[in-house]
Amino acid sequence: MKIKVCGLKHPENIEAVAALQPDYVGFIFYDKTPRYAAGLSADALQGVPASIQKTGVFVNESVENIDKLIAEYGFNAIQLHGDESPEFCAAFKGRVTVIKAFGLNEEFDFEQLKDYANNVDFFLFDTKTKIYGGSGKTFDWAILDQYKLDVPFFLSGGIGSENIAEVKNITHPQFYGVDLNSRFEIEPGLKNIEKLKDAFNIVKNKIQQMKYGVNEQGYYGDFGGAYIPEMLYPNVEELRQQYLTIINDDGFKAEFDDLLKNYVGRPSPLYYAKRYSEKYGANIFFKREDLNHTGSHKINNAIGQILLAKRLGKKRIIAETGAGQHGVATATVCALMGIECVVYMGEIDMARQAPNVSRMKMLGAKVVPATSGSKTLKDATNEALRDWIGNPVDTHYIIGSVVGPYPYPDMVARFQSIISAETKKQLVEYTGSELPQYVLACVGGGSNAMGMFYHFLDDESVKLVAVEAAGKGVNSGESAATTALGNEGVLHGSRTILMQTEDGQVVEPYSISAGLDYPGIGPQHAHLFKSHRGEYVSITDDEALQAGLLCCQLEGIIPAIETAHALAQLEKMKFEANDNVVICISGRGDKDLDTYIKYFNY
Amino acid sequence: MNRLNKLFASKTNNLLSIYFTAGYPALNTTVDIAEALEKSGADFLEIGFPYSDPVADGPTVQHSSEVALENGMSLKVLFEELAELRSRVNIPILLMGYLNPIVQYGIERFCKKAAEVGVDGIIVPDLPIYEYETLYSSHFIDNGLSNIFLVTPQTSEERIRKIDGLSNSFIYLLSSSTITGYNLKLSDSVEEYYKRIVAMKLKNPTIIGFGITDSSSFAKACNYANGAIIGSRFVKLLGEDGYMDKIDGFIKGIRP
Repeated sequence: MKIKVCGLKHPENIEAVAALQPDYVGFIFYDKTPRYAAGLSADALQGVPASIQKTGVFVNESVENIDKLIAEYGFNAIQLHGDESPEFCAAFKGRVTVIKAFGLNEEFDFEQLKDYANNVDFFLFDTKTKIYGGSGKTFDWAILDQYKLDVPFFLSGGIGSENIAEVKNITHPQFYGVDLNSRFEIEPGLKNIEKLKDAFNIVKNKIQQMKYGVNEQGYYGDFGGAYIPEMLYPNVEELRQQYLTIINDDGFKAEFDDLLKNYVGRPSPLYYAKRYSEKYGANIFFKREDLNHTGSHKINNAIGQILLAKRLGKKRIIAETGAGQHGVATATVCALMGIECVVYMGEIDMARQAPNVSRMKMLGAKVVPATSGSKTLKDATNEALRDWIGNPVDTHYIIGSVVGPYPYPDMVARFQSIISAETKKQLVEYTGSELPQYVLACVGGGSNAMGMFYHFLDDESVKLVAVEAAGKGVNSGESAATTALGNEGVLHGSRTILMQTEDGQVVEPYSISAGLDYPGIGPQHAHLFKSHRGEYVSITDDEALQAGLLCCQLEGIIPAIETAHALAQLEKMKFEANDNVVICISGRGDKDLDTYIKYFNY
Repeated sequence: MNRLNKLFASKTNNLLSIYFTAGYPALNTTVDIAEALEKSGADFLEIGFPYSDPVADGPTVQHSSEVALENGMSLKVLFEELAELRSRVNIPILLMGYLNPIVQYGIERFCKKAAEVGVDGIIVPDLPIYEYETLYSSHFIDNGLSNIFLVTPQTSEERIRKIDGLSNSFIYLLSSSTITGYNLKLSDSVEEYYKRIVAMKLKNPTIIGFGITDSSSFAKACNYANGAIIGSRFVKLLGEDGYMDKIDGFIKGIRP
């Protein structure tokens, strides 16, 4: 949501408002208002950063006078508050941003806006008054539902500290921003900076409900953002604008829940692992994502994103895959929905995960080898991004982990958060409390871990343990232990922690587990690591394979080698007898049978 | 006023710019190639610094980046090579590359060093507007460096206006939403997009890049913008034997 602060006229006050970084500031040139800015020197606007649109507000002024004032003050936008005609607006359209204001009440005729639609950039809807300009009163926002044109609008009129939070509930697709004026003043034309600051926080932190969650710019502390070339901007921006609206829609939720239940087989069981509990001297619970259709947690996200893609009107799906689990999940949901599917996979990964390549093909997907760079997951991701650059309109890119430019990390985390939501409910039945002492999960990019942690993030008594792949040892030169070996930088569209050379070239990681073989981690993980909310540890290939075998023999479950890393961490922990410990069994080990067989000579 | 602004003040059409990757095909060729390009008449240059994961680039530039990295090219090495730039080359020079190597080098140090060796502007495709404004712009401005933003056919008018406001030398128009190195036909929709940009009467000059390969695509681009950039096609030439002797012919072939 954009913020416009209107009715400024004092140089120091302008500077203080500009420091809050609103999107627009407005100066009123109408001599019947106490906020008349006529005496203002043009120099006072010099210090306003270029990112803020300087708006001149006029009431039935002549074109000549407006032009004169645009030139004098360097306005990028004009707001017309009188009886200006569509033709009058057209005289400015293209030269400056044109905002046409209308006073609304129950009798307002929205038909009259049609003639303006092509001649203005925005409407501004204010409360109808007898005089021109604002009254400081709100109108009934429900009448906005009658507005059906595709010109975005600002909402104005009586927005103050006490109702600013309600503004966030307006879901109209063309609602662009709020116009703040008289209710944030010490006296007419002099804004109350503290009051504005609070309002800005409420508006800009629209989705920051959680301490460890994402803010509106897409950041988790120092990490996240959307570091993408302009060619990808429209694609990512479309998602950013729509994803919350879509996934919070009742129809979407109903379809998502239905497929998770009847197609994926959720809820996945929370299994009390008796023999593990005896061995480790604590209550060990397995969250059985391995029992999902297609064999891992990846399907949760794939279902969510395919439903989202359908609602965005996309006709074609692309995905990247490392071990093939996400590729299979994506190919599966595309088959389910009858949508074309192209999966990029590193040439080397295609050779070492041949059965999954065949599975994807059987499901009707086209598998394209990534032959550049190191020919593994990161290069498959690069190729998928290149495809998306070339197909910006009809294609949706289903990213498989909590990585990539915002909103992907948040979107994927939300789709995977079903894991911890279910766990809380299931744990109450066993223990009487929804909170365990420990939650463990393996981390490559980190999607199963984020799903497993999600609803425990604010429960700070719950210790979150994330297990990375140490490969042949953290210091062996063949490792994927990102937090141990990496430092801060930018990878695949977000600021995060990644393994790289001193010169900023991305290092090829190594792990026996293809799903953990990634040189970065999701930005939210980077934040949990840096803020010490999570403990990030690593497990070697050998430790993981031994733990995988132990799980087969103690519990009759063959875990994916990725999952076996989380299980191996149990060996290194000390528990109290009553500790409740939940481990995410992210996937089943069928795909890894060859590796297990070779290692143990079965 | 840096060299870029002076160039655009004195010449407003048919500007020819060439992109090449530093360290390709070999180390210690950067200034030689730049000098040869100036002699042949190129108006300004983009020197690419290589990155392991160049998502906006097609096979030709990707390959040149891989070779350059194998040769040992890095920002540190590049700045060493560029130390003699301004004793041999007078035309404006931009550096072009991805953000991560800059982050590792240190943004402030990078801008200072770039200014010190006589670079005039920077093109970083994966540096977004928000981050540029909030974190980086002061370092660019303090060192007199222009930051160049990209615009594609999908970029909204509002965003183009914003980019125009933030730019102070030129705007880089992508001929299409694509990665580098594809030969594009001038379709009706591309022409419409160019016309739309022209009609916006931006305050900054515009230069068209991506898909410009020969004299005809160059001339067409110049109908709608102040000039055009050739990248992949020139990088291909650098992969050929005796490339230094072919530079003059290449440039004259583009702009007879």
